[in-house]
This record gives sequence, structure tokens and C-alpha cells, in this order.
Amino acid sequence: MDITIIWTIVVITLLGVTLAAVLFLVARKFRVEEDPRIDEIEKLMPGANCGGCGFAGCRAFADSCVKAGNLDNNFCPVGGNETMKQVAAVLGCAAVEQAPKVAVIRCNGSCANRPKVNEYDGLATCRVKAALYSGDTGCAYGCLGCGDCVAACENDALKMNPETGLPELDEEKCGACGKCVKACPKGVIELRNKGPRGMRVYTSCVNKDKGPAVKKACAAACIGCGICAKTCTHGAIVLENNVAYIDYTKCKLCRECEALCPTGAIHGVNFPKPLDKDAIKARIKARNEKAKEVQE
Amino acid sequence: MMKTFKIGGVHPNDNKISRNCAIEVLPLPQTVFISMAQHLGAPAKPIVAVGDQVKAGQVIAEPGGFISAYVHSSVSGTVKSVAPRKDLSGNLMTHVEIAVEGDEWAEGIDLSDTLVTEIPTDKAETLKKIQMCGVVGLGGATFPAHVKLNPAPGCKAECLILNGAECEPFLTSDNRIMIEKSKEIVIGAAIMKMVLGGCPAVIGIEENKPEAISAMSKAVAELGYEGISVMKLKKKYPQGGEKQLINAVMKREVKSGGLPISVGAVVQNVATSLAVYEAVQKNKPLVTNTMTITGDCLPVEKQHNYLFRIGMPLSYIAEYAGGIPEGAAKIVSGGPMMGKAISNLDACTVKGSSSLLYLSEAFTKRKEASACIRCGKCADACPMGLEPFLLNKLAKNAMMDELEARSIQDCISCGCCQFTCPANIPLLDTINIAKGQVMGIMRARAAAAKAAAEAAKAAPQK
Amino acid sequence: MNKLLVSPSPHVHSPLSTQRLMLDVVIALLPATVVSVLFYGWRELMLVAVSIVACVGLEWLITRFLLKRKSTIADLSAVVTGLLLALNVPPTCPWWVIVIGAIFAVGVAKMTFGGLGQNTFNPAIAARVFLLVSFPAYMTDWTIPAGFIHTDAVSGATLLGKYAEGGIEAIQGTDYLHTLLFNIGGSAGEISAIALLAGFVYLLCRRVIKPWITLSIWGTVAVAGLLFWLINPGQYPDPVFCLLTGGVLLGSIFMATDYVTSPMSDWGGVVFGVGIGLLTVLIRYFGAYPEGVSFAILIMNAFVPLINKAFHQKKYGRA
Repeated sequence: MDITIIWTIVVITLLGVTLAAVLFLVARKFRVEEDPRIDEIEKLMPGANCGGCGFAGCRAFADSCVKAGNLDNNFCPVGGNETMKQVAAVLGCAAVEQAPKVAVIRCNGSCANRPKVNEYDGLATCRVKAALYSGDTGCAYGCLGCGDCVAACENDALKMNPETGLPELDEEKCGACGKCVKACPKGVIELRNKGPRGMRVYTSCVNKDKGPAVKKACAAACIGCGICAKTCTHGAIVLENNVAYIDYTKCKLCRECEALCPTGAIHGVNFPKPLDKDAIKARIKARNEKAKEVQE
Repeated sequence: MMKTFKIGGVHPNDNKISRNCAIEVLPLPQTVFISMAQHLGAPAKPIVAVGDQVKAGQVIAEPGGFISAYVHSSVSGTVKSVAPRKDLSGNLMTHVEIAVEGDEWAEGIDLSDTLVTEIPTDKAETLKKIQMCGVVGLGGATFPAHVKLNPAPGCKAECLILNGAECEPFLTSDNRIMIEKSKEIVIGAAIMKMVLGGCPAVIGIEENKPEAISAMSKAVAELGYEGISVMKLKKKYPQGGEKQLINAVMKREVKSGGLPISVGAVVQNVATSLAVYEAVQKNKPLVTNTMTITGDCLPVEKQHNYLFRIGMPLSYIAEYAGGIPEGAAKIVSGGPMMGKAISNLDACTVKGSSSLLYLSEAFTKRKEASACIRCGKCADACPMGLEPFLLNKLAKNAMMDELEARSIQDCISCGCCQFTCPANIPLLDTINIAKGQVMGIMRARAAAAKAAAEAAKAAPQK
Repeated sequence: MNKLLVSPSPHVHSPLSTQRLMLDVVIALLPATVVSVLFYGWRELMLVAVSIVACVGLEWLITRFLLKRKSTIADLSAVVTGLLLALNVPPTCPWWVIVIGAIFAVGVAKMTFGGLGQNTFNPAIAARVFLLVSFPAYMTDWTIPAGFIHTDAVSGATLLGKYAEGGIEAIQGTDYLHTLLFNIGGSAGEISAIALLAGFVYLLCRRVIKPWITLSIWGTVAVAGLLFWLINPGQYPDPVFCLLTGGVLLGSIFMATDYVTSPMSDWGGVVFGVGIGLLTVLIRYFGAYPEGVSFAILIMNAFVPLINKAFHQKKYGRA
């Protein structure tokens, strides 16, 4: 009995020592030299492995940063400028600043604005629905409401609102990784500059049909009347395919377009004050009169 | 022993309620809208302008590519517009709008009923005629007929298979033309046979159409062309699928990604054969076809088989046939297994239109999906021998390489898997999307390989 | 008019449903259940009822309160599990042992894996083996209680038990016609081979199962039994004995063919069946237990994912 115990101890110990030695030797022999900065940068990353940077994950991004030696083509949209500054410090190069972005859902076709004209009975994903037909509303361009974007979001920033049938964004959680943009078969979602204190103006519609057809399909759609484009003093609005597109790099947040839009398709968000339509209209009127005077 | 295909298949209730309704001719509407996408491949390019006077049978659009087809006016009248219009799934497509004035046909078109039994002997000219008359496959895929009837050099047709299976439940238009136009179809087959170099022709018909089988056999015997025979097939869906029919008739299998001609087969629908007859013998372009008005919630006296002209609004046809029946929850164009649900009744008929199918809610509404019980019934039903349960899972996880390894690209979208699934899982919805993605990847890879090969070829020359 | 429905094809569905398939299995088990109640009396009926109620109730409780999702009891899979469990224990089994078995079957073997369709092991078989290991005394008490046909309780051992104890002499002179009709002793569902075969025929006619798994188990058991018998007829019983005794029929028809825990392809099913047959014979002749079907099925269940990886249905145009 005693002998058995002693033998057991001896054998196990010997086995342990041998294996440890083998492991040690193998680890030395096959050691892979890796730039320690990759680890360092990876630690600075948000760690969501969302792929928003265009790489497979945070480590692949870190690897690419170190290999390039600069940050000209590498930017982590989730970590933003703060993180990139730290990465720049590790690499000892200049950080390239980018304006923080946010996902913007450009459709206002809620159940109330955009009545259903048929009932979709297939698999409840936008992708299948989009491949099948133009959708269960009169609008062939807007949100299909099956929530592929919600499923794609790894930050839990998107939620379907059962009342409107549209996704809603939690700006705090959005890392602007662009997964929802890719997931949306209709191209409704766009990454736009977040704007100062989150203030931004955008057209909440992507319907390319002509005015009358659009109006029939949805009460809150852009009808392509072009009033906004004519009024904008910053040249930020272009009317293309019957939709007004607001260039966020040029927009000065004056909100004139928003006040003039006849269907309310242009949205301004996160402004401290509610939109005073009359004041803005008066301002535009005064400016137009002045221009006329100058001309005369 | 009746023949059928070997792998998989299902037996939906065939519901051929309108089988005895003789073909009636639809009166002309006030306006027709002729779509430029009447066929598989590139849309046709319109060659008429607003205000032009056109006659029935006159070319109004030219092929937009190699795989494309001529489109003819189906009526005589004035072109009102050439503009985008919604098709039956609500997507925009260019249509030529023609206001109907009288019914005058273009010159040289023989509208009489006299049979022309003499088979032409000039292959090239016959093919040209088929192409100029805009004949496309009317079995569902609307593939331009002249392309299929002109195999690439090196391929030899060993058997022309005429598809009279009509395996989709409810549809009876092929059944009716086989009964009423049997001789025309047989002559069409003889013409195609000649074009293909005289290979034998087999007309495959499922056992549930005994009248069609006897009518066709009689026509074959009376006309006495050599090498044409009628084959009775066991009833099984999807017998009318090209690959399945080849398997049933010739006991051969088309390799994955291959064309039927690679095993010596050319498959044409019986309706296409009729169109070929009319094109070659009567000079009549493809502007008419037969469609079935049927459904489980349509009383039998309201069911019809109509000879329609392309461009007729579906709403007009529905109205003429007695309106949309009470209790219709879904209207399908085509059969219940592979047809397209119509979301826009203002859409118009095209060459390949085959039905207006009214289905009741109880019949068609999908039941809630539950967990997969791994019964494997989808794999047993799949006529391509795939494993839909696995493809569904892989597709949900976007595992593209694995999907390709599991041959998702072989799927023919017949719907057997979803039809069978006891858990009501929408297998085909997911598989169809993933199939598109995988085929896109494969095409991109093939293009890249081709480009690389060309680059390698070009390099040494420098 | 209501709004039109729009969906991708197909627009029709076969009358097949999970519920209907499970109902068919229950119907196929009815002859065996009726025979066992006839032989073992009201108590057997009570056991069946307790088992079904326990399985269904537990599944309802788990889906409702633990998982907080829609209850799945309507698919009748818990009824099948309950019925199979009751038929897989001795008729003398105390009711609370069955309840513990039900808790193991539904609670551990089925729901922890994610419910119907996700479980690796057949719940009823897992529970039977669990009970056999945990309560060997109750699970091998082969006293035959008084029933409607036998009116006195007799103590008896199963034929396989007799063979394990006393060797070939103990089973000499077994009347096979008798075992075919009412093989008293053993688990409640094993009485009548005819009743079980009737269930098999029903399942085949309704196309609920395919015959390959069952037939390959029978074939393997028969062939392996034959080999041993030919080698030494003085020590090993003949192949007919191997087939008709113990749980071979019940296991091969109703448990090995469970959709979830058997391979998907026909050839995979054959491999699976051969594995079960071989293991059964090996356990019977060389293992500690007189009967090995349930162990064999459980072991082969674990190999199903591997078999599924190796065997696929024949594809069109990919010869």
C-alpha cells in the first residue's frame, strides 16, 4: 500500500518535470517575435471587434497600425479621437483627427405617416423582404421595418419602436462602426458627422420617386420640391433623384431648410431650442428683400 | 413502370380544378403596358417613340444583350408613353404604353387556323425566325429560345425533351394547350428537332393529365413525324424542373453548374413549342400565351383558361374573370410552389405569365415557425439532394465557404424543403438569399481568375 | 377587402407538423401501452399517467418560469418522452422514481440543451440509464404484478437476466412464439413483440420514420448473435433469442429512431444502427449489465454529430 503511494508520487512528479522541460524548450525554440506595440495598442482599443475600422478585429487593426507606422489610413470610429491620440503616442506619430460620426436613420415612414398597402408574410428580415418586392407600403425606398440593422448592431444602440415600426438610435451607445449601414438593404442609414453637441440637420427620407407618387405613399417624405436647396445660403443642399441631400461638411446648422420644408422631411436634432419657424421665415424674407434691393 | 426523377420530390395536392375549362380569348383592353423585361437576361431596348402608330406583331423593342429577346406589340394603336412602371413586385421597369385602336396585325402574319405541317429545312433561317419573333421559354424561366436551340460548337443534342409535366398544382394552361393545340405543339417539336440536327424528341407528361396524354399521342401518330414520342411520367413535384425532367426521361444527371446540353439534352416547354410553331410556320411573334385563373377560394364556374395578349393589366383580367373572389388572401402569379405573390395588381402580363391564383388565408398563410426537430424531411424532399436544414443554419451564421462546400448554388428554389418542414421553418427564404450571395462570390472569383489568366497570357508577350 | 398577403414562395405547406409527427409516435406506442396495462393492471396505467404528466408539466414550468418564453408543450414531444419513459421502467417501479426520471429526462437531458431539437441524447433513454444507475434495485425488480390476465403477482427474472445469471442452461427451452406475443418480465413496454412491430409498421406507413436505423440494428444484433452462437452454441444463445428479448425492439423502433438524436442521412442511419447493434451484443455478453440497448443508444447518440459530418445524402449531379 505504502509502496503504491510512493510510486504514484514519484511517477507523477517525474512526469510533471519532464513535461515542464519539454514545454520550456518548445516555447524557446518556436518563439515568435512580435512587436510589443501591437499588444499595447490592442489594449487601448475598445475591444468590441466590430470591424468598423475595416479590419477583422481590434488586433488586426493594431497590427495594421504598427505595420504602417502611421495613422493616415487607420481610424477606430468607436474609440474616436481620444483613443487615436493614445495610439499615436504609442507609435510616436501624428494622430489624424476625424469628426465623430453617428448612424442616422433617414426614414420617417412610421405606420402613421406611411400606411401599409399589403401584409408581408415571409421571413421577417429586411434582406428577404427587399429581395422579394418593393415592400408593404407604397414607398419602395424607405425602411422595411424588419430590424436587420438592430440585429447587426453589436453595441445595442438600435431598437425597433413597435409604435412607429422604425428603428431608433441611442446616440450614446452608437460607435459609428457602420454595421447597420451595411445591413440595411435599402441604404436608409448613413454615417454622418455627429455635429457640435450632437446638433445636426438631415433629410429623413430617401424616396427617389416624383412628388405626387411620394405624397401618396408617405405623409412625411421628401417630395423633391427643392425649396431647401434654393434657400440654403451655404450651398449644402443638393437635389438629386428627387431627394434633397444635406452635405454635413457644409451645413452650418441654420435650420432654415428645416423651417421651410413643406412635409417636415428635414429633421434637426439635439438643438437646445425648439424650431421657431416664424422667426426663421421672417429672417429669410428680410434677406430676400434686401437682396432684391441690392439688385435693383 | 412509369418514370420519374430519382432524388427527392414531394406530392402536393395537385388541385387541377380548371382542367376542363376550355381556352377562351380575352377581349382587348383600352390600354396595354408592355414590359421591356419579358425574358431572362438584359431588358429589351424600346425602339418606338410616343405618338408612333404600331400594329399587333410589330417589333417595339430590340434585344439589350446576347441573352435578351425582341419584344413585339400585342395590339394595334398609338404609343402613349415609354416610361417606368411598377411590375408585379412593385419594382420599376420601362413599359411601352399603347392605346388600343382596332385590332390590325402587321403584314405577313398568318392568323388562320390552317395547319402548316411541312417542316422547313434551313436551320439558320429557322433560328433567325424564332429569334425575330421573340420566342422565349414559357416554362417559367423565360430563357430566350434561340439561344437554347443553338448549342455551342462541340455540344451535340441527343434528345429534345418537351416539358408537359406541369407539376405545379392548380395550373392547367399547358394541359389545355396540349389538348386543344396538340398538333401545333408536335409540329413545333418537329421544327426544333430539325434545328437541333434531328435528335429524337420526347414529350414528357405527368399521369394526372390523361386527356393531354391521349391527345398528344394521337397527334404524334397522325402527323407521323419520325422520332417523336410521348412519355407518361409519374406525378411528382418538381418534375417540370429542367434537371429533374432530364433525369426522369434520360436517366442522366446534369453536373453541378453545367448546362443540360452537356448531357445532350435540350428542354423546352410545350407552350414554347406552340410559340415556335406560330413563329416559324405562321410568322406570328410571341405576343399571346395561355393563363389559368384559378385558386382554392374561386368557385369552379369562375375558373378559366384564357388566351391573353402580353401587356394586359392583371386587374383588367381579374375584373373580366369576375373580380377578386371573397376570401382571397393572396394572389399569386404562377404556381403555388414557385410563383410570385402579387403586391401590385396594376402590373401587366408578360410572355411568361401563367396564372392568377387566388389563395385563401387558411390555405396560404404561413404558420409560426418552431424549433427544427432534425427530422431530415427537408433533405429527403430536396430534388437536388441538398441538406436545407444545414444550409439554413450556415446561412444564418453567414458561413459562405461552408455553404459553397454544401452546394447551396445547386438549389433550384423549388420550395420542397419549406413545403415539407413540419416545424414550418422558412428554409427557402434564407437559402435563396444566401444562394445569391454565394453565387456572387463564385462569379467574382471566376472573373478574378479569368483576369489573372489573361494578365499571365499578356505578360510574356511583352 | 383585406390587405393582400405577400411572401416568397412556396405559398402552400404540406399538412405535416411537429405535433402530428409526435402524435403518430404516440399512436404507434398505443398497442404496446395497452398490452402492458392488460398484463400489469391499473398500476401500470397510473405509472404511464404520472410519467406523462410529470414530463409535460415540467416542460411547461421550465418554459414558463425559467426560460420565460412561449410554452412548447403543444408539440407533444414531452408526451412521447413521458410515455417512452413509463414503458422503459419495470412495472413495479415506484411512482416517485418515475417522477425523478421525468425530471432528469425533461429537465436535464432536454431543456438544458435548449429544448426539442437541441438535445444530444434521447431524453427517455438518458433518464432510463440515469435511473438504472441511481436506483438499481427498483430498476431491476422484475416482480410481475397482478394484471388483468395474470391475476397473481409472481416474481420473475427477465430472460436476459436468467441468461446472465445461469448461462445458456437457464434459458433452454424458451418458447419463441410465447416471447413474440407476451414476453412477460422486463420493462413495461417490452411485453409483446407483436405490439411493438405493429407500431413500427404504423410509423413506416405514415412515413414518420425510415426503416434503415431499425433494420440495421436488427441485422447487426442477429448477425453478431449468430457469430457468437456458431462459435460456441454451448455458451451463447441463438440469434432469434438475441432479437426478441430485452429492449431491442422497443429501443430500435422508438428510441434509436428519435429524429433529434439520430443521423440525418440514410447511410448515417445504417452506421448508427450497426453501432447500436454491436454495442448491445457486446454489453450483453461481456458487460456488467444483462441488457445493453439503452447504453448502446446513449453511446451512439454521442456519435451522431460525427456521423452527420461523414455521411450525407446523395446529391444530384455530383457523382
